[in-house]
Amino acid sequence: ASTFSLLRCQKSCSLWKMEECEEEAVCVIMCASVKYNIRGPALIPRMKTKHRIYYITLFSIVLLGLIATGMFQFWPHSIESSNDWNVEKRSVRDVPVVRLPADSPIPERGDLSCRMHTCFDVYRCGFNPKNKIKVYIYALKKYVDDFGVPVSNTISREYNELLTAISDSDYYTDDINRACLFVPSIDVLNQNTLRIKETAQALAQLSRWDRGTNHLLFNMLPGGPPDYNTALDVPRDRALLAGGGFSTWTYRQGYDVSIPVYSPLSAEVDLPEKGPGPRRYFLLSSQVGLHPEYREDVEALQVKHGESVLVLDKCTNLSEGVLSVRKRCHKHQVFDYPQVLQEATFCVVLRGARLGQAVLSDVLQAGCVPVVIADSYILPFSEVLDWKRASVVVPEEKMSDVYSILQSIPQRQIEEMQRQARWFWEAYFQSIKAIALATLQIINDRIYPYAAISYEEWNDPPAVKWGSVSNPLFLPLIPPQSQGFTAIVLTYDRVESLFRVITEVSKVPSLSKLLVVWNNQNKNPPEDSLWPKIRVPLKVVRTAENKLSNRFFPYDEIETEAVLAIDDDIIMLTSDELQFGYEVWREFPDRLVGYPGRLHLWDHEMNKWKYESEWTNEVSMVLTGAAFYHKYFNYLYTYKMPGDIKNWVDAHMNCEDIAMNFLVANVTGKAVIKVTPRKKFKCPECTAIDGLSLDQTHMVERSECINKFASVFGTMPLKVVEHRADPVLYKDDFPEKLKSFPNIGSL
Amino acid sequence: MQSWRRKSLWLALSASWLLLVLLGGFSLLRLALPPRPSPRAPQGWPRWLDADLLQSFSQPGELPEDAAQPPRVPHGGSCNWGSCFDTSKCRGDGLKVFVYPAAGPISETHRKILASIEGSRFHTFSPAGACLLLLLSLDAQTGECSSMPLQWNRGRNHLVLRLHPAPCPRTFQLGQAMVAEASPTVDSFRAGFDVALPFLPEAHPLRGGAPGQLRQHSPQPRIALLALEEERGGWRTAGTNSSACSWDGRCEQDPGPGQTQRWEMLPNATFCLISGHRPQAASRFLQALQAGCIPVLLSPRWELPFSEVIDWTKAAIVADERLLLQVLAALQEMSPAKVLALRQQTQFLWDAYFSSVEKVIHTTLEVIQDRIFGTSAHPSLLWNSLPGALLALSTFSTSPQDFPFYYLQQGSRPEGRFSALIWVGASDQPPLKLIQAVAGSQHCAQILVLWSNERPLPSRWTETAVPLTVIDGRRKVSDRFFPYSTIRTDAILSLDAHSSLSTSEVDFAFVVWQSFPERMVGFLTSSHFWDEAHGGWGYTAERTNEFSMVLTMAAFYHRYYHTLFTHSLPKALRTLADEAPTCVDVLMNFLVAAVTKLPPIKVPYGKQRQEAAPLVPGGPEPGPKLQAPDPNCINQIAAAFGHMPLRSSHLRLDPVLFKDPVSVQRKKYRSLEKP
Repeated sequence: ASTFSLLRCQKSCSLWKMEECEEEAVCVIMCASVKYNIRGPALIPRMKTKHRIYYITLFSIVLLGLIATGMFQFWPHSIESSNDWNVEKRSVRDVPVVRLPADSPIPERGDLSCRMHTCFDVYRCGFNPKNKIKVYIYALKKYVDDFGVPVSNTISREYNELLTAISDSDYYTDDINRACLFVPSIDVLNQNTLRIKETAQALAQLSRWDRGTNHLLFNMLPGGPPDYNTALDVPRDRALLAGGGFSTWTYRQGYDVSIPVYSPLSAEVDLPEKGPGPRRYFLLSSQVGLHPEYREDVEALQVKHGESVLVLDKCTNLSEGVLSVRKRCHKHQVFDYPQVLQEATFCVVLRGARLGQAVLSDVLQAGCVPVVIADSYILPFSEVLDWKRASVVVPEEKMSDVYSILQSIPQRQIEEMQRQARWFWEAYFQSIKAIALATLQIINDRIYPYAAISYEEWNDPPAVKWGSVSNPLFLPLIPPQSQGFTAIVLTYDRVESLFRVITEVSKVPSLSKLLVVWNNQNKNPPEDSLWPKIRVPLKVVRTAENKLSNRFFPYDEIETEAVLAIDDDIIMLTSDELQFGYEVWREFPDRLVGYPGRLHLWDHEMNKWKYESEWTNEVSMVLTGAAFYHKYFNYLYTYKMPGDIKNWVDAHMNCEDIAMNFLVANVTGKAVIKVTPRKKFKCPECTAIDGLSLDQTHMVERSECINKFASVFGTMPLKVVEHRADPVLYKDDFPEKLKSFPNIGSL
Repeated sequence: MQSWRRKSLWLALSASWLLLVLLGGFSLLRLALPPRPSPRAPQGWPRWLDADLLQSFSQPGELPEDAAQPPRVPHGGSCNWGSCFDTSKCRGDGLKVFVYPAAGPISETHRKILASIEGSRFHTFSPAGACLLLLLSLDAQTGECSSMPLQWNRGRNHLVLRLHPAPCPRTFQLGQAMVAEASPTVDSFRAGFDVALPFLPEAHPLRGGAPGQLRQHSPQPRIALLALEEERGGWRTAGTNSSACSWDGRCEQDPGPGQTQRWEMLPNATFCLISGHRPQAASRFLQALQAGCIPVLLSPRWELPFSEVIDWTKAAIVADERLLLQVLAALQEMSPAKVLALRQQTQFLWDAYFSSVEKVIHTTLEVIQDRIFGTSAHPSLLWNSLPGALLALSTFSTSPQDFPFYYLQQGSRPEGRFSALIWVGASDQPPLKLIQAVAGSQHCAQILVLWSNERPLPSRWTETAVPLTVIDGRRKVSDRFFPYSTIRTDAILSLDAHSSLSTSEVDFAFVVWQSFPERMVGFLTSSHFWDEAHGGWGYTAERTNEFSMVLTMAAFYHRYYHTLFTHSLPKALRTLADEAPTCVDVLMNFLVAAVTKLPPIKVPYGKQRQEAAPLVPGGPEPGPKLQAPDPNCINQIAAAFGHMPLRSSHLRLDPVLFKDPVSVQRKKYRSLEKP
């Protein structure tokens, strides 16, 4: 044991009590043994050497044993809990059989007035730090009636996939007592495959049924002949229904979830994405088994508009062995389905007996814009998806006008719809898993609304999400002048210069507070009496470490929105210039408003970015040696800076200003504002305003910063502009006395 | 002594052995024995051995089977948009609204609302040509209820507008009529058919309205976290301590005397907790919105206003009252970024849709028009981001990229070309020199000459590098802001025939405009001021330290403002501009400022010409067009807008090296500095 651990040991031994736990016991023994090791000869003087060796060996063994024990206490859990040990390999046929007596209770019919706050027991979902609901899945059972006849098929492939997806997700819990949502393993995806009364009885005998509270049923094909109800006919009381064919009459807004009818073709056929743009057919109808009236209507369209409309039907004369699902015919012409959908700009999705049609999924997959003709149909996930962006909904009575309605849509909008349609399929239709997770996310968002997913996250395709900028300070406000600004001076030990800066800055009328960030840990700031007496409060903050990012820390002392970051050697700015800078910031509160401007350039020879401080016609950065900005950017710099930039800046003691420029430009998408003309400096020693010499290595280092940051941000967020802000009457032929800011640009 | 030491040593040794055996033994035992199968059900959904053999829920042959069902007529009683509204009447120019004249004496508010609808672009005087028939049922206090109107037709294509929830005894069945009502209950509300209105206080301003209370983006430090409603109106702020609230949603009186503050009207806190029932909660909701206090609604049983189009999750939090403690904890931990976004959105929504009765009514009509338009309705982005759907007309375009407001959200940039639109007024010569100067700009895509002169069109124009089009105007001043289809670029440089600009001025101004595409970028400015002596607004074109308007005789702006000017301004204002031509500048500046809520941008203008050939109104060469506008004009416009939208700016944007002590050779826009 090294001296260090010995020290720690002695310290801990004095604090810890022996009885508490075994790790502590280790320490005690260790301390004891160390003690004996060191002072051994004096302690056991009379003992024979042989005995001593024996004792020491004994102790070592005991020690080793205890250490090993301690390790086991922590280790073995992860070894044990691998899943394969527990999950049994079983067959669906071997599940337990449950006999349902004919007179077992039946749940009531669904309550149409159910809402989350009336029918859903939200207490089960309370206090969850991750804001995620917990979902429990009942074990699979086989239900039979009194005569031993099964109630339904045990489980379909899709429902098995769906339950697997839930079980693999973050929502899953195997603890029925902690669950907030219960998913029965009774498969009701297709109403035609089940016996309604018996299925209802099976639901009612679930262990936590409780009138169906917090139970979620998935159904894609509701209703049956002859009247085809638009919601599952199985009485289900208060259970939530994720249904694939709701109409406005059966859908309980904000309670049920409308889901797509999964198309098994999605898994079979791989349709690569086809770019948007005009396609061979303008309008295509690919559904088979249309109602004769509808078929007449679409065929009338074809007659009227000729080649650009294609109406397909079932093939009658296919040779043996050809899968009829994958073929469509027009007269004697045979087309591959769903590939033919990629040849059309718009695809008709007409209601059948059911409102929800699996063809919708195929159409979206093909990037064809669905023309939904199904009155009162609730489109899938309509609670969160904006179908206006991906589809055209046409009332049934307007079917004859479909063509002209579609033609009035501008080409640009059509292309956006095509992209959007494909994106909806990829994100929410593609697989049973996507459908299941979207359903749970919708319910989750209702229960934890403050952590809900936004409209943009649901609806914007990844390309749009990536390219778009949402300015955090988007409201056009001109903050009141009365608020003033807080000046933050970062200093190390240049006290004399610092005091001059303080005196100069304090002359600015709108200054409301001055904050000195004392970055020197080895030296105390001057005594209170030595500081210049100024008219505004002056606070000194001492930092724990000499880091450049201390300048951008969101100190509680900053009470104004505007912050002036100023170096402790910037004494050349006049009071007029600073006050004018503040006025400019008020008009651009979401930007960096600074004095010395800099530029980034693409170096074609070296193939990388280059930092430029010469007299250029363009500006893309301002130095934070003297710059106004919103204090929110301090928060962003300290807590939201991407990658390791913050640590990198602190380690290199350079480029904190470039990092700030990148951050603000990236988050707002806007350029900096440089104020007032460039200054020449009188003193030869301060050639650069950033306090460091303008030598070659410095420039190289700054260029490297730009390249490093651009790679971390993954893009070059800086914006180049050719303007700077001056007072309205700057250098105009106008009496100086009457100008608001006469002292601008003086040396 | 030694034996004692030895004894203690042995004791320690045996104690350690005991410990080892006790602890180690168990672990060894656990390790040695194979783990028994857990008594609980296996974790997770089982991976069935025969999962691949399972059948699909719908057999391939089955899908086509569900056919042959004739179309059904909707159930009686309830209505939805498809079944109860006849859109065939709304072809052509979109929504046309007929308002039933009130029977008998009407209140002042009623009269004003009527006037406001009549002045809007939706209004028509013929009930036959209208696609929507509007029945105002406004006068809550008088208890007066309208009787069955003439063209009732079972309420088809009717909208019954109730600004105040008056329990008016129904003299007739609503039938198929839509109802626009203040905060309807969720149970009676027919989504997609009815319209939910905000609950407006009696004294809500008709026009303009008070702006939002928010003066700064981020909450002030040490502002109260929560404001709670008081029993008898008003608000009470509570500290950040959530323990004051009990499970059932009632919050106890805060014990600290200094911590509790009462606010009569508008709360001053980050979040406003609103529970309880309408109408009280609904009116609190609007107050909170105006104050920039993020509304936290606890299980509202009423529909949020315009929920069909407004994404309320961006401005408010609708939570379950049963999870109150968890909600409070979530509020405390909410990230500053989210708080910032929610707060700003409250202000935007308040200002765009709720601050005046007129806005509420126009929003209602816009919602219905969007339903009629279908695919050419406002996209959600236009409703939910600045400047709002009332100011971003979907008749202009449905692609956000075409507007000047959404470049950032769309990740796009304004295009790099502009069209020059030169207005040739009554006494102007053909502006040959100006055309040459403008055509010399590398960014110029086309030149349009708007001939508004009495003389016939000249047959020959100068040769230019860019296409030149001559439009024969209707000799009206408002013509210059007509959205001509020949304008093909986003940017317009609006010019008068007697304006005088150099190519490099044009180039620089255009580059600046690309950074501020939603604003006007001009060379010459004027400003407004409050004239104490006359008790009204005044106007000056003198050079001052600040400005609030740029003159449209030389300015860049987005072509969308032509559409807005022509289609959204009330007819009365456009007539005003035609009658007093100098007014048109002011009107355009009002319009752009009302949209952007920001001042215009000024760029440098050659000093020499400024004195020799003054463009400044009231200069030594006062042509008929160059008079300072009548102060009446600015006051009439301000009255029509209901507020003063103009903002002042203190700055001018110059080229980066403008008049810097550096070689002229280095400067890109050197001719801007020539004396």
